[in-house]
Amino acid sequence: MDDLKDALSIFKKDLLQEWRSKAVTVATVFFASIVLMVLAFALGSNDTVLKIAAPGVLWVALAFAGIISAAQSYQNELEENALEQLLLYPIARSSIFLGKLLANWFYMSLLGFILVPVTSILFKAPLGSNWWLILVVVLLGTLGFSIISSFYAALTANLRARESLLPVLMFPIVIPILQAAVKASRELMTDNNPAIVFDWLQLLIGFDLIYFVVTLAVFHFIMEE
Amino acid sequence: MSPAIELEHLSRRYGRQYIFSDVNLIVSPAKTIVLKGNNGAGKTTFLKVLSTRLRPTSGSAKVFGFDIKKEASEVRKQTAYLSVLGGNYQNLTALENLKFALKLSKVEFSKEQLLDRLEHVGLIDAKNKMVREFSSGMKKRLSIAKLISVDAKLWLLDEPFAALDSEGKNLVDDLIIRAKKEQRTVIIASHDVERSSQFADTVLSIEDGSLKLEKSLNNG
Amino acid sequence: MPKQPMWLNVYGFVVLVLFLLGMYLGLVVSPPDASMGELIRMIYAHVAVAWVGFLAVVLAALHSMLFLWKANFKDDIRAVAHAEIALVFAGLTIASGMTWSKPTLGVFWDWDAKLTLTALLASLLVGYFIVRGLIDDPERRGRISAVVMIIVMASLPFNYMAAKWFRTLHPAKSYNVDATGLSSTMSPVFVKILLFNVVVAAMIYIYFFIQRNRIGQQEAELFEKETELDVKGDFIHV
Repeated sequence: MDDLKDALSIFKKDLLQEWRSKAVTVATVFFASIVLMVLAFALGSNDTVLKIAAPGVLWVALAFAGIISAAQSYQNELEENALEQLLLYPIARSSIFLGKLLANWFYMSLLGFILVPVTSILFKAPLGSNWWLILVVVLLGTLGFSIISSFYAALTANLRARESLLPVLMFPIVIPILQAAVKASRELMTDNNPAIVFDWLQLLIGFDLIYFVVTLAVFHFIMEE
Repeated sequence: MSPAIELEHLSRRYGRQYIFSDVNLIVSPAKTIVLKGNNGAGKTTFLKVLSTRLRPTSGSAKVFGFDIKKEASEVRKQTAYLSVLGGNYQNLTALENLKFALKLSKVEFSKEQLLDRLEHVGLIDAKNKMVREFSSGMKKRLSIAKLISVDAKLWLLDEPFAALDSEGKNLVDDLIIRAKKEQRTVIIASHDVERSSQFADTVLSIEDGSLKLEKSLNNG
Repeated sequence: MPKQPMWLNVYGFVVLVLFLLGMYLGLVVSPPDASMGELIRMIYAHVAVAWVGFLAVVLAALHSMLFLWKANFKDDIRAVAHAEIALVFAGLTIASGMTWSKPTLGVFWDWDAKLTLTALLASLLVGYFIVRGLIDDPERRGRISAVVMIIVMASLPFNYMAAKWFRTLHPAKSYNVDATGLSSTMSPVFVKILLFNVVVAAMIYIYFFIQRNRIGQQEAELFEKETELDVKGDFIHV
């Protein structure tokens, strides 16, 4: 489908930009490292505490990364007014949303795949036999988060005070997504009960689907001026 | 012959202020129009409304018969807008920028054609350089390369001569002459009224919120 | 500014009287509850403002959708009026909830699902008003805040689930919507007084909505008048 092709063109362009500038990569690796280290130091004396904290640490680091990446994806369009050009091409508005969503999801889940083993090791929370499930949790959780972060990044892109506004607006909306992701991750990193994980996964899928449809439906309204 | 542009009671407000109001204009195809006005008078806003970038506050506008509110995507297919700020990506090369623009503009192209365009605007040597390293004149030339690569019936040029050296300005002159030959409708918003008026069939001005006719060189 | 219509004055007076009656019923007529004792009196107020607050959010979202659809500024003004009242009622819900909570549970806050949801709602509404404050252009402001309100509305069920399962490890398989705050063992006199107070709260809401809406509509008319550009454009054919 044409719209998907356009979205992929935008996705590839964003990846290329990031590959060259590494702005998101540097910032997210930095934040993730700080979060992991500070919390490891703070909780490090007791292995049980570390293990309990592991899923939370993972998702805090990912949440920071998600916000940074979403904010940057629209920043790229604001220098030299490139966003305006994007809006003047004969493409669907939704392609822009989709392309940037894919880019943000990509960064966030890539970081997630790296952080899972790192957190698991540093925080003494072994993954057990169903370890592949946590990758599914990461994919679905980062998808939901990216949908919201990409959407609000687009909304705040042209507003004053956008850097501080993005997390303020997003925060209450992503809480359910983060909660499901953390709880599913906890099952896999501590108690290892796949049945419960599947329940949380179902919830995540529901969130992702509904928010995807809603944000896609209203996206073009926030792009018009 | 159906008009290229039809505006009826068109107005655009921003906040408390009307930028322009009650604009009634019919433009026949293949005309070249110069739009003059002081800084902040509303030339850019006017062009942006025509391009569908901004919605009108009230009134109606049709470009080649397509309503800019209801059939905006059709309008965009026929229109090319050369903006003051280039719209180029800093971390991409000239070639990459051009390729991306043409892909999204749904234009078929070959590598040779891309290089040909860059040659035409004098950027062939800079084809693999990042736009980050470009001078403002070079960025303008890149935007022009994008403009001439899509086959748009309506050209909206916002200060096309700005940031260019004399060679660049000559390039724009040739561009406008060629556009006239190719029967494109061209609207130029420019400070350099003398230079742009050389080719103009009509000169319009925006002043205190209304559009006025200054000079019409040919009949109709 | 036109004078307040007579029927509005009468209505306001009636609402005031009913409010006092509701207070009397709750504070004097109602017997103490078997389990809660005197604190049942707080529940009348708490549940009333909670229900009305959520109703206000739904109406705000509805008018936001209407605005996006029809682009009629009246809907934007109505959405704002509903949202403002929703925020006030959400605040009242939290305050009354905390007041009930301290003597009953010993703490001001115990992460009760409904109160947590209300707190999240309040912060979402604050976000709505921040966004409105940042956009000067009326058309854009109306559109963007309408979108924000729609997402706020969409988030409520999810936030409720999150608040409910905050302390649990396992999301409940069978999800029963117990948002009423009513215990099924409540005796009829309590239910009657509660419902009376809920109706009164709704009437108070309507009164404030009408007033706020009137002010908003008149502000908008004034804005239109002041910003009108009285030019007669030439007809140009080239």
